[in-house]
Amino acid sequence: MAADKQTKLLAKQLFKLSLVNGAVSPEQVAGVLGWVEQHSPRRPVALLKVYHHRIAIELAKSHAEIEHAGPVTEATLKLIEGAMSQRYKRVVTASAKPNAKLLAGLRVRVGSDIYESSVAGQLATLSV
Amino acid sequence: MSNVIEQIEQQIAKLSTKAVRKNTGIIRTIADGVAKIEGLSDVMYNEMVSFPGGVIGIALNLEEDEVGCVILGDVSQLKQGDEVSTTGKLLSIPVGKALLGRVVDALGRPVDGKGPIDAKESYPVEKIAPGIIVRKSVSQPLFTGIMAIDSMIPIGRGQRELIIGDRGTGKTTICIDTIINQARINKVGLASGDKNFRPVYSIYVAIGQKQSNVVRTISALEAADALQYTIIVAATAGDNPANQYLAPFSGAALGEWFMENGQDALIVYDDLSKHAVAYRQISLILKRPSGREAYPGDVFYLHSRLLERSARLDGKGSLTALPVIETQAGDVSAYIPTNVISITDGQIFLETDLFNQGIRPAVSVGLSVSRVGSSAQIKVTKQVGGKLKGELAQFRELAAFAQFGSDLDAKTKATLERGARIVELFKQAQLNPVSIEVQAAVLWALQKTYFDSIEVKHVVGAANSLKEFLTSRKDTLLTAIRTKAALSPEIEADLKTACDEWKNTFVTKA
Repeated sequence: MAADKQTKLLAKQLFKLSLVNGAVSPEQVAGVLGWVEQHSPRRPVALLKVYHHRIAIELAKSHAEIEHAGPVTEATLKLIEGAMSQRYKRVVTASAKPNAKLLAGLRVRVGSDIYESSVAGQLATLSV
Repeated sequence: MSNVIEQIEQQIAKLSTKAVRKNTGIIRTIADGVAKIEGLSDVMYNEMVSFPGGVIGIALNLEEDEVGCVILGDVSQLKQGDEVSTTGKLLSIPVGKALLGRVVDALGRPVDGKGPIDAKESYPVEKIAPGIIVRKSVSQPLFTGIMAIDSMIPIGRGQRELIIGDRGTGKTTICIDTIINQARINKVGLASGDKNFRPVYSIYVAIGQKQSNVVRTISALEAADALQYTIIVAATAGDNPANQYLAPFSGAALGEWFMENGQDALIVYDDLSKHAVAYRQISLILKRPSGREAYPGDVFYLHSRLLERSARLDGKGSLTALPVIETQAGDVSAYIPTNVISITDGQIFLETDLFNQGIRPAVSVGLSVSRVGSSAQIKVTKQVGGKLKGELAQFRELAAFAQFGSDLDAKTKATLERGARIVELFKQAQLNPVSIEVQAAVLWALQKTYFDSIEVKHVVGAANSLKEFLTSRKDTLLTAIRTKAALSPEIEADLKTACDEWKNTFVTKA
């Protein structure tokens, strides 16, 4: 069922309550989920879906997903974490994910930003 | 072999190792040429957005959670979950003289099968209109070649003159005649070698029209050898609403290039009613709040920001606009007509009744006005046609009154007779614009009562005969009228001789 305006508004308020110093707090999220369970608001499934979506977007802003072809050392991950934390002015954690389609190099995704440094990406740019 | 290796090495060297940042999003929903995209956190309003397969979109709605994009191209290959990225660029189209004689779509891509366009520059489709300081008041004429308009509702370079009327009343014909007339003037002016001559280039924007109509327009322009001075922007009824919405702005960008490079251009928006409908469709799909007649609240701004881009610039060129509005059952008080009437510098209203009576162009003198054009009118037209509008208005009033009785005094009868002759004289075949010097000569003949002795039903024939006589035999006289742009005693004497000569020939023929 699609969320109506009121549900979206409530989800937004719950989302705001889940943040501490601009970052998602697990304790606050647990509290929000407890409140939803206790009070059973209108359209709980739609509400939780919207809430989940917002939290996922927010968490993605603090997480660097590093796709790579070839080995990536722990030191490289730390280096990227540091660079991204400095750029976005928040703590960014990194996780590695192998992707052979990149041919060589890296692709880092933080929120809706992509940092393309792979051979496949550069070839795609050349083909345009 | 080594060459091949070198080439590959060079290509590899070009590949920068620096990471390239892209701001991306994911298509959440896609329907009716509009995509809702999640992500694109850095997108700007009106920014070009790149979809898979080289398809381009424009970000029109920046909401808290998602971005609404209109897609300019084939949407059939796009699906939910596709990745979209920002380009950091506002939508631009190729501009310049290379586009003259070509038919392009709303993105400036050729659709006439004449090969690629070698344009050196590009201009943004959306641009802020020139400010107050850089503008100059309208003072140079733009001749339409239509006697009724040039003599009574004159248009100046940089003016916005609305052409409004019901369907099938000759709105497009007036625009095409004007474009053909510009081409004729350009040919004569460029051939004369006059260094001060400023050609007028035309841009015809077809919005939501049938493809067959656009083809007919192109053929008419080709037949009149006017296409070489014209660019046609086609967003036909088969194109998606996004392209129809963009087409006039693209046309304005094309015209602005001429204006900003010290040249004069004419742009025809045919028509803005369909443009408003296309914008309404996009706005409703984007779930923008709707107002009167379901149009969005910013439909006035849509047309005002478009038409404000037409101007005459100080020290540069001009862009004259002829927007077209189609009314329903002659209702000029509907939403879009009143909006555009208030934005433009006057309107030419075409009446269905006049059209059906055979008065073509069916210009309603009472409802038509040119707010700034009179200052651009040349002296000769003022001398011969200054009183025509008043005389014609008086005739219409008396003609309506005279229907109820036959006992009329001599003065009223004379006004009616004269009015009937003026009406006949202004009848003009389509695609046949008349040069300003011929117009002046014919109107001079009218003022000097040369047509008074001719029966009303023969006035059209007599006027055509006079035009032919003057163009074929009195070229020197016409050149003198054109160059001096005023009636001197010598020119009047020559005109008298010419008209006497013609009158004898015409009477003999009749």
